[in-house]
Amino acid sequence: MSDQDRISASVAVMEGQAVCAACGQDLGLATEPWKEHAQRREIPLAQAGGPAFDTGHEGVVLRHFYCPSCAALLDTETAMAEDPTLNDILASRG
Amino acid sequence: MDPMTFSIIRHRLFRIVDEAVITLKHVSGSAITNEGHDLMVSLYRADGTLLMGGVGFLHHLTSAAEACKSIIRRFEGDIHEGDIFLLNDPYTAALHTSDIYLVSPIHHEGRLVAWSACFVHVYDIGAVNPGGFAPQAPDIYTEGFSSPGIRLVSGGEMRQDVLDTILNMVRSPEMVTLDLRSMIACNNVARDRMQSLMTKYGAEEVDTACAELVRQSEDLFRARLSELPDGQWQSRQYLDVNGVTARVNLTMTKREDRLIFDFSGSDPQSPYSINCTKWASLGGLFAPLFPLLCYDITWNEGVLRPVEMIAPEGSIVNCTRPAPVSVATVGAIQSVNNAACSTIGKMLGASEKYRDQSTAVWHANHFAIFKFGRNQKGSESIGILTETFAGAGGARSFADGVEIGGEIPNPISRMANVETVEAAFPVRYLFRRRAPDSGGPGEFRGGTGGELALVPHKAPDGGIHYVISGKGARHPMSEGLAGGYPGAPNSYVWIKAPEDGANAPVTAAGGLDAIPGTQERVSWGVYPLMGRDALYVRWNGGGGHGDPIVRDPDAVCRDVAAGLVTAQSAGDIYGVVLNDGAVDETETQAKRKGIRSARLAQEAAE
Ligand SMILES: [Zn+2]
Repeated sequence: MSDQDRISASVAVMEGQAVCAACGQDLGLATEPWKEHAQRREIPLAQAGGPAFDTGHEGVVLRHFYCPSCAALLDTETAMAEDPTLNDILASRG
Repeated sequence: MDPMTFSIIRHRLFRIVDEAVITLKHVSGSAITNEGHDLMVSLYRADGTLLMGGVGFLHHLTSAAEACKSIIRRFEGDIHEGDIFLLNDPYTAALHTSDIYLVSPIHHEGRLVAWSACFVHVYDIGAVNPGGFAPQAPDIYTEGFSSPGIRLVSGGEMRQDVLDTILNMVRSPEMVTLDLRSMIACNNVARDRMQSLMTKYGAEEVDTACAELVRQSEDLFRARLSELPDGQWQSRQYLDVNGVTARVNLTMTKREDRLIFDFSGSDPQSPYSINCTKWASLGGLFAPLFPLLCYDITWNEGVLRPVEMIAPEGSIVNCTRPAPVSVATVGAIQSVNNAACSTIGKMLGASEKYRDQSTAVWHANHFAIFKFGRNQKGSESIGILTETFAGAGGARSFADGVEIGGEIPNPISRMANVETVEAAFPVRYLFRRRAPDSGGPGEFRGGTGGELALVPHKAPDGGIHYVISGKGARHPMSEGLAGGYPGAPNSYVWIKAPEDGANAPVTAAGGLDAIPGTQERVSWGVYPLMGRDALYVRWNGGGGHGDPIVRDPDAVCRDVAAGLVTAQSAGDIYGVVLNDGAVDETETQAKRKGIRSARLAQEAAE
């Protein structure tokens, strides 16, 4: 990987570290799950995005992952409570 | 080979596929083919490998290759000029029984030199439910007629006994005849044009060009993969049926010039017909891969070589016989499409060069409603609500998704005019329009999906019935990217008219809640649409891209004015305060600051 690569539009890479693209906050190694360094919040789907997201069923959440420094929303996941976090990592190139 | 000749042959192959598609549409009389473009035509090499993938539903390109290979194995030494074979067994190669493949060997001077293959979703296949999607089927045996390979046309002559046997097993045999004849005509045109090409340039010259074309695609695709960063990306899809949720889990790994799609950890096969076979999963992951990674590369065997799929046997993405699969194309296959679209979108977003081509998930959730019953002309009709193909675009890294923008796996998908549906079925639309708040919020918003409501109209039997295999009413499926939200989930509502109420209003500009009656959610099975009742359907928007609270407030204001976003969501999700239809900049800044503080306060609280 290089500093030109990113994890996503919201998570940049700086010298091998994942960083918040908005404020530069360190989010750990880019080769490891960065979400462990983000602030996670689970919102019941019915409250996540207006009335259209209210399905009348419970048990589904929209996970938010925020930058712990500037509060930028870095990623979302639709999830059922017990399911693991989805991880996106870059590999260091040999 | 001479590059000019190579280019001419390559171009001719494109045009042959195009002309075959036009032929298919001219002969076919069904809305699903002509209006919805639920079709596919492609060319294959003598060994059955993909030579030139055509348009239509792209998840068929690799499955039809397997169909050709399977016919080659089954009929070895007994394949003759003018033969056409039918194959629709999902455990051999097909996606589900109602997507029938007709594959045709192409001979030149007595030698087998290529194959053409096409499919349409036939009018009916004799499954337990009309139209092919069979939510009530417990196994493959109740999903209608299925063949692992049978000769339908022998040396240019229709085998009438075979045709009659097939027609004896389906509803509306005259429409199924038309479907089969449209595919025969399509294959005939592909064969004739391929033969002329070989007569003009010589079979060997054409074959050399074809081999070069495959090599070129492989080289170009490997080069593109090498440009992208190495890494691992994950996505997950939920499919809910009758309250039971199944997961499709994907980890996509890119290493140098190779790409591995690993579906390990996906749930076991379902008792419901949302499962898919391994050929279907392979097709499912290539459907977004072709347009997203190979938009400028010829879609052929060369693109397949750098890709590996791991799909555990007995899982929802590689089910074992006799698991039912009739809803696969809008079930597990579509979830494989979505999961692959999500991981490919993430990988593109990781690259400086390709960031602009990253997209959130498009229209992730077909609703596949088949109406059936006696129409206003007194004849039995079966037909899909083609709005299921209307879709919605995912947001890009620089722009909103396209409203009602179709879907990635079928670049030519579309929906029928309201009038076309009303002419063929005894129904009337109360409204059909873009659905507010359906596009996934984000700095760039997902394209909106739509909503519609239908009532019976001049129905000789008082109404009709419909088969619905609509999942996605519990889980949003069009995932967002980089902080963008998913598109809103689907919604299917049966509005039961009040006993003593007036007729439903002619229009219902107020949407669902303006239709008089009690509302009951429906999602899986067969339901009536009778009397003064109404059916309401809302389909998902595309996923959003980026944090919604950094979206340009003027864009949010325009969305509210256009009815695409509600004022409530403008405030709650986007943090935009509107006064008299204009952005209140001071209040908006304060609102957004408040949302950020609340996010950080959350951190302090935990
Ligand atoms: Zn930050």
